[in-house]
Amino acid sequence: MRIGACKKTYGRRVVLNCPEMFYEPGLIYAVAGPNGSGKSTYAKIAAGVIRPDGNVKVTDGKEVVRYMPQKSFPFRMSVEKNILLFGGDRKRAEMLMEALGLAELKKQSAAVLSGGETAKMALARVLMRPCDLLILDEPAAAMEMEAAVRTESLIDEYRRECGCAVLLVTHDLSQARRMADEALFFFRGELREHGKADQVLRHPEKEETRRFLDFYGGRITEG
Amino acid sequence: MKKLLSRLMAGALVTGMITGTAVSAVSAAESTVTSAAESMAEVSTVILKEADDNMINTYSLLAVNPDAPFVDADGNPVSDVTLNTAGAEALIDWFLSEEAMTLAAEYGQEEYGDSLFYLLEGAPVFEGEIAPASEETSVIRLSTTTSVNDSGLLGALLPVFESEYGYTVEVQSAGTGKAIAAAKDGNADLILVHAKSQEEEFVDGGFSYVLPGFESERLSFLYNYFVLCGPSDDPAGVKDCESVLDAFAAIADGKYPFISRGDGSGTHTKELSLWPEALGITDAPESFADYTDWYTSANAGMGACLVMAEEMGAYILTDKATFLTFQANGGNM
Amino acid sequence: MLTSLQKAIELILTGNRELGNILLVTARMCLASSLISLLIGAPVGIWLGAAEFPGRRIFVVIFRTLMGMPPVVCGLLMYMLFSGVGPFRKYKLLFTVTIMVIAQVVLITPLVIANMETYVSSLAQTVKETAKGLDFGFWKTLLLLANECVYPLFSTYLLAFARSVAEVGAVSMVGGAIAWKTNVMTTAIMLYTNRGDFTLGVALGIILIAISLLVNIAVTVMQRRLSR
Repeated sequence: MRIGACKKTYGRRVVLNCPEMFYEPGLIYAVAGPNGSGKSTYAKIAAGVIRPDGNVKVTDGKEVVRYMPQKSFPFRMSVEKNILLFGGDRKRAEMLMEALGLAELKKQSAAVLSGGETAKMALARVLMRPCDLLILDEPAAAMEMEAAVRTESLIDEYRRECGCAVLLVTHDLSQARRMADEALFFFRGELREHGKADQVLRHPEKEETRRFLDFYGGRITEG
Repeated sequence: MKKLLSRLMAGALVTGMITGTAVSAVSAAESTVTSAAESMAEVSTVILKEADDNMINTYSLLAVNPDAPFVDADGNPVSDVTLNTAGAEALIDWFLSEEAMTLAAEYGQEEYGDSLFYLLEGAPVFEGEIAPASEETSVIRLSTTTSVNDSGLLGALLPVFESEYGYTVEVQSAGTGKAIAAAKDGNADLILVHAKSQEEEFVDGGFSYVLPGFESERLSFLYNYFVLCGPSDDPAGVKDCESVLDAFAAIADGKYPFISRGDGSGTHTKELSLWPEALGITDAPESFADYTDWYTSANAGMGACLVMAEEMGAYILTDKATFLTFQANGGNM
Repeated sequence: MLTSLQKAIELILTGNRELGNILLVTARMCLASSLISLLIGAPVGIWLGAAEFPGRRIFVVIFRTLMGMPPVVCGLLMYMLFSGVGPFRKYKLLFTVTIMVIAQVVLITPLVIANMETYVSSLAQTVKETAKGLDFGFWKTLLLLANECVYPLFSTYLLAFARSVAEVGAVSMVGGAIAWKTNVMTTAIMLYTNRGDFTLGVALGIILIAISLLVNIAVTVMQRRLSR
């Protein structure tokens, strides 16, 4: 799965400048970096939600990309209908709702859900159909620890079933370490480091990465 | 304002009592209503000067000329304006028939105990046959001034004509200036107005024509008088003035409050002609800029102006019909 | 005020024929103009709120400006166009209910557009991102967006209706307030006021407000039912 080189500027500020990347099917890529480092912008460009400078195409257009934005929209209908939008496998929906603890809320209007519940619903919704590249922007940011861990196994299962590559944008270093096979580190819009997750997230080469890891709870805290 | 307040308070009192359950409270409330109604029936504005030759108000009918030099908004000539000339002719013929004249002269006697319109001596009379409506001529557009329509005269007369000859008359009323403008724009088949100078201008412009059997474009047939009203204690003493011109001079001399329509209506036009020439009051706002301490240009309808005069204890020139309606309603807001 | 209230009740109870006609003309005009404005304005507003193209802001500014157009100016414009000497004279529409509806549609549609645009643009970005992320095409996205607009659509309709029923400047200009034909509540109130008959004016005003209240209740109930 190829994501072409892309650049995004707002006015004079360069928010993203990333070279061409290839993502192996079946692997999870953690996308890390401080606020404003361009990681969400990268996710949006890869998902085709915003266009990079010069309107260049970053994908070949043949692969199916599914994307869960940081703020997913709860459509004005029940939780169940949100997940089954325009038809879908009922059994799979039941399974996802059960796994995410949404079963009791399924008839409720999505408009009244809490932030964490909305994120769970959005995750179930994006995991309903197979794809070639799954992009998740902070899927567990609003969830409590327990639920966050449960989502990890769901995501893991999903990529095994359909053999897709996963881009996981996250702040949560421990989650990144638990899940990712490889990691990308963005800083000030630049892709600074890329390699095996273990290496980038535990023994980084670059000074900025090291400082970031220090700030977010130490380098070697997690087993 | 004081009156309005007291009325509101009476209202609050009544509502409070009605919501109570006792029947006696309700009947007590009712008596409050009647006494409140009686007290509000007093209007302190009264007629001080009337039937003065300077305040004569003549009404004329003019048929719109189908071959008039109509122009569009950019001044380009327009030749295909559609008018119902036959309908206009029938209605004018009827207005000038004995039947309509009698109805007009009697109008108001029943309600106010006084005629609101008088027949003009030497007015043209129509004695021939009035053409009944056909399919093309059945809708007649009459443009008239608010005072004619508001007096209720047309409401009393037109149904008789409509049922007798099968026409439908669409009455559109506006200030004299606007009423004449509507005819110049081809939006009326005939006009019934009361401003001589503006009528003559209309005729001179070629917008009217002489109907068969008549001698003039302007067919004046009714008249009445404007009345000068003011507070009943009459501080300017206009009641004792020889003529209305002296009365206006007295108001201006003493700087007693005066409400002017200020809207280019026939009443406004008449009022402007009654002030002493030295004051130089015209319809231009600059002309009365120095008199704003007593001269109020309201730019409002007759009814609204009467309320203002009543509240301020001011003098005002009005047509009699509107004043009588106002008085009958107890100056009610 | 009390006498006016009394008179209002009296008018309704005695089934005054002229009042009946005025109410009928008012209802015909208001329903037509508010519904047509909604039919034109809502799709345009939703599209304008969701679309991205250069110059979108210019359109938004134009519609927001038109929203503030004084009714009299709109009436005057229509009067000049449809007058006996105007360019559209052959349609013979001046002083008809049709032209009153047209004038009101011109007046109210920008209001509907601007209102819907404001609402839609506030959520279009997130809706589009979410829909795109689920691999939905243009039409499905539009459908989802339209589904979000059900609730504000009712409020916008009420706004359109309120503007229509309360408006006097344009309708008196192009309608001429002709009895039994184009006289509506507001123009009738004007006529009675100018005539010095305030009691009747206020009585009509009370009836007008009562009707507005009924319409508001009906639409609000529908809104709650349909947008649940």
